[in-house]
Amino acid sequence: MLKSPWVFHFSTGSCNNCDIEVLDCLTPRFDIERFGMLLAPSIKHADVILVTGSCNRKSAVRLKRLYEQAPKPCLVVAIGECSLSRGMFIYSYNCPVPLDKIVPVDAYIPGCPPKPEAIISGAVKLIEKIKGNL
Amino acid sequence: MTRNEIIDDLKKRFKDDITNIFDKSEKRVYVEIKPESLERCATYLFKDLKARFNIASGVDTRLHIEILYHFSIEYINLLISLRVKLKREKPVINSLAPVFKGANWIEREIHEILGVEFRGHPDLRRLLLSEDWPEGVYPLRRDYTEWDKTAIRDRGV
Repeated sequence: MLKSPWVFHFSTGSCNNCDIEVLDCLTPRFDIERFGMLLAPSIKHADVILVTGSCNRKSAVRLKRLYEQAPKPCLVVAIGECSLSRGMFIYSYNCPVPLDKIVPVDAYIPGCPPKPEAIISGAVKLIEKIKGNL
Repeated sequence: MTRNEIIDDLKKRFKDDITNIFDKSEKRVYVEIKPESLERCATYLFKDLKARFNIASGVDTRLHIEILYHFSIEYINLLISLRVKLKREKPVINSLAPVFKGANWIEREIHEILGVEFRGHPDLRRLLLSEDWPEGVYPLRRDYTEWDKTAIRDRGV
């Protein structure tokens, strides 16, 4: 996990813009694989869950279930304003609780959407945090 | 048929059903009809004029609950919106799902979100709302108030 954290990408009903930026990170231009990060196809292979979007009533249940299935220790990274504080959906009838009240969050990456550089910086900080340097 | 011929034809054919026609622009016309004649008008547009059913949209305008059925006739670039006004106390209308299948899901969504009852709909279950949502609470009504006491409405900072 220190050398190569595998990430699992979960969109809890976002506008897909954060998802596009996450995908950008995996392309050769930004190449997040140089930090050993690889997109895991299944939650059972993942060390990190990347969450985008403001959790709604239906996806909160699914996120909890995913978190229970992930091998521990499992880190959660909130990407984008919606998953940090629900952004403009804070008074929405369908988004009752913020993400960090559903699962414990280890890193927050703000932005709407965050630039790929911001996501890479968040990933580096996350790795530093696991090592205990931060 | 050209655009004006279609509008004149609708006026003549459904003169008892149409209450108002708002000719907004070259590409757009709103036809307000009585709720009980919806099926007749929609069937004519869909089956005879070969219009495409795009979507339906529902609005709570405080006075009524409005449903707009948007049809497009593509070879003349015309968008016809059938507007029906329903009573706020008990919104009931005939379903269009038996006429064309495209109306099925959007009617389910309008049912769960605005509380309109579609008579004759084959399967009026919920579409998108979660299972723990209480019966009889409609989130996009004007008088909706929060029912969930556990909801947190601050930014957490």
